[in-house]
Amino acid sequence: MKPTRAQFEHALKSLRNPALRYADIRWTATHQQHVRVRNGEVDALTSTVDRAIGVRVLVGNGWGFAATSHVSEEAIQQTAQRALEVAAASHIASSGSVVLSDIEPHVATWASAFEIDPWSIALEKKIEHLLAATEPMRGDRRVHQVSGDLSCYRQEKVFASTVGSYIEQTTTEMGGGIEAAALEGGEFQRRTYPNPFGGDYQAAGWEFIERLDLPKKAPLIRDEAIALLSAPKAPAGRFDLIVGSSQLALQVHESCGHPTELDRAMGLEISLAGGSFMQPEMLGHFRYGSELVDIVADATIPGSIGSFAYDDDGVPAQRFHLIDKGMFVDYLTGRDTAPAIGRKSNGTVRAESAARIPIIRMTNINLEPGTTPLEEMIADTKHGIYVETNKSWSIDDLRLNFQFGCEVAYEIENGKLGRLLRNPVYTGITPEFWRSCDAVGDRASWQIWGLPNCGKGDPLQTMRVAHGAPAARFRNVEMA
Amino acid sequence: MFSESESQAILARALEAANADESDAALISIDQNISRFANSNLHQNMSEISAGLTLRVIVNGSMGVASTSSFDSEEIARTAELAREAAKHSDPLQNFSGLYKDHEPLPQLATFDQQTASMSPAEKAHDLKVMFERGREAGVQFAGAYLSASTSVATANSHGVNRYAQLTFSDATVIALRDGSSGYATRCARRAREVDILSLGEEATQKATLALGHNEELEPGAFDVILEPPALAEVFEWLNMIAFTGQAYEDGSSFLVDNIGRQLAGGNITIADDATDPDFLPFPFDLEGLPKRRVPMIENGIVRGPVLDKAWADRLSMQPTANAWHLGSPEHGSAFHIDVAGADATREELIASTKLGIWVTRFNYVNGLLEPKTALMTGTTRDGTFLIRDGEVVARLPNLRWTQSLVEALGQVEGLTKERRRVATWFNMFGGTIAPTVKVRGWNFTGKQTEHT
Repeated sequence: MKPTRAQFEHALKSLRNPALRYADIRWTATHQQHVRVRNGEVDALTSTVDRAIGVRVLVGNGWGFAATSHVSEEAIQQTAQRALEVAAASHIASSGSVVLSDIEPHVATWASAFEIDPWSIALEKKIEHLLAATEPMRGDRRVHQVSGDLSCYRQEKVFASTVGSYIEQTTTEMGGGIEAAALEGGEFQRRTYPNPFGGDYQAAGWEFIERLDLPKKAPLIRDEAIALLSAPKAPAGRFDLIVGSSQLALQVHESCGHPTELDRAMGLEISLAGGSFMQPEMLGHFRYGSELVDIVADATIPGSIGSFAYDDDGVPAQRFHLIDKGMFVDYLTGRDTAPAIGRKSNGTVRAESAARIPIIRMTNINLEPGTTPLEEMIADTKHGIYVETNKSWSIDDLRLNFQFGCEVAYEIENGKLGRLLRNPVYTGITPEFWRSCDAVGDRASWQIWGLPNCGKGDPLQTMRVAHGAPAARFRNVEMA
Repeated sequence: MFSESESQAILARALEAANADESDAALISIDQNISRFANSNLHQNMSEISAGLTLRVIVNGSMGVASTSSFDSEEIARTAELAREAAKHSDPLQNFSGLYKDHEPLPQLATFDQQTASMSPAEKAHDLKVMFERGREAGVQFAGAYLSASTSVATANSHGVNRYAQLTFSDATVIALRDGSSGYATRCARRAREVDILSLGEEATQKATLALGHNEELEPGAFDVILEPPALAEVFEWLNMIAFTGQAYEDGSSFLVDNIGRQLAGGNITIADDATDPDFLPFPFDLEGLPKRRVPMIENGIVRGPVLDKAWADRLSMQPTANAWHLGSPEHGSAFHIDVAGADATREELIASTKLGIWVTRFNYVNGLLEPKTALMTGTTRDGTFLIRDGEVVARLPNLRWTQSLVEALGQVEGLTKERRRVATWFNMFGGTIAPTVKVRGWNFTGKQTEHT
């Protein structure tokens, strides 16, 4: 099924056009398995395998991309020729000049690490694990639905380019989580662990699921879902807000990760996802957040689903600051965008599979840990709100005005966590919010969270990214 | 794109390999070209030929699903084994009466257009070049996407049901940008000739330049609002996810639950799933092989029910509605052809009847998970938000945040236009939304996009 290196090289050599400046070919085989149990029975059990070939060419100043799911030598050759035809069409309506940042050729093989292969665990054991994890949440009449999810993912990828690179990479991931939904009267409340939408995800094996210890957390999730039914509504007004790690991870994603994608800032994604308020002329002198705010892009973190060895331009994975002591210092870039700001690619171009064109994507975008223990942060807050676990998310097309809903909140009075509150919603303007940050949690509250469903591009591509974040405190935030 | 005979041959091999009590399979092949442009420059140009097979087996009343993009005998056998393994470990479907057996005739619908199927990237590029040149003359820059696709859809099951259709689809979105203002226009159709990119460029330019230089701001509050079809489409896509699907109904989170037969919206509100309307995006069957028909979810304000696949219809002792768009999908039925009925007004009349209000072209990043039982949603406006005062459009407004219960809003619709427009959705190629422009009283605006400082 997997083409040979000779086939890749033959296809690259077949691209005969005197104006050809660059070409690459990718092959991917993406394997996924999903198990879901609901109310004590198996609700879904699916397996998918997708294979694809994608050929990208730059002819003069016109890009062409063609892809196929038919993986044969003949299909590869035909796809390569189609890419040339598409590039010729691009010439008709392209007016800009494409500049690619320099790159060295790389020949490498890389695979993410795992201890226990997710596919080595029998389906029966996966189901039993989920049933054991969800059973403790059942029994109360108000708990209308309990569910658990396990997801296994593996993508094999080969990249070959006219630069001379030939790179093979394999990523193996596992994800899992549980949910309790409570219903009484007109009130409906969900509580999840460790995160909603299938749980948390890591580049790891079955050992990650064991570490999550889902059965142990189940009673707490059930109790909170029930308690939320009768909890008072989180108040509206302005409060000092402590945002827990998993919610802050999504805040980083939406309000820092996306606006620092250089293609968005250049208007290249404006028709679908929107643009960015963070424009190139602001680089180096725009205060994005308080001095406590350090946000890095780091594609080299072992075990995280935003990690890899080389991006889909063939550029090595890197770690660099986007926000340094509150100042905006860099973008996520690729080979054809970085020159626009006078820089070299920092290796963040990826595609969902070989069937899609590579575009700038987040890697692991992390708020670095600070020095304040969470307990100290709470103790130091006279009148505030603590929020945790995302429930809804929305942000405008420039990534300025955001609104997040969370599963739970607790009031903070005189340095102590108080009553549970339901339906908390906070809103703000991105730089005002981050500038109001006056405490960043220490390493103990820092955790990396896998998000396997970041959408961007047209046709839509779903990318696997991650965010490390501690808890942090923000002053005078508007609760809706 | 696979022909009918090629599709049937692959499906026959899949059903033979299934070796189960019952089985069905769906094969979808796509041949699409999409040209993306920004800053009046064609910067991403793609061509994709792909196909996927999904096989579902029923063994001892339990269901298993597996899919693949390879169709050789070895891979199909492996896929069948995965599906059987899944079924073996699953629980029997509650109250399941088996896969579809009825062989009912399909509605006769025109779904394919040869000109659309053969539209080349070069043809689109020539159109775009002309639009870019016109934009330069008008002082605007364009961004957007221009797509044409042809697709074959085939489904078959072990009861001898065999369906095949070819469909074409064309979709274009244009944003015009000038002096910090933007305007938006979009069209989709089964026939590319109904998607005139040059007209879209003109429409987007008019929106981008309307009331240019006349900017005002509003403090948050409840305002009468005129919502154009792209704005409505986004909130109705969310309504589908949180209220209309079989799963949302079964798990109790949908506001339809306990409300069937009750008047929940205004008498002027009818929302249906309708793939049989030739003026929409017609398609004759769902992937379980059932003939498509018009299915009202809300009719004259009265709740009628959710959309359901066969398994969830049996589970709930209701009738299947031909809304299975993935075999074994967790949604258990999804409205992919949202049809919002219009009335007799024009957009100009709706604006003229508004003393103080806001005209919204489209929404951005709507989220409907805040409180599903009231369909409380939030989002922002973009690409053309205008202030209406004394029946006239007087100024451009910044993009605004809103937070609004859709259940409440559906009871406050004051007027609907006769003209309706099709709007594509990002998550499926089968359908989208067809909707009028509507006027809603008291829409809750809760914030605004603020320039950075």
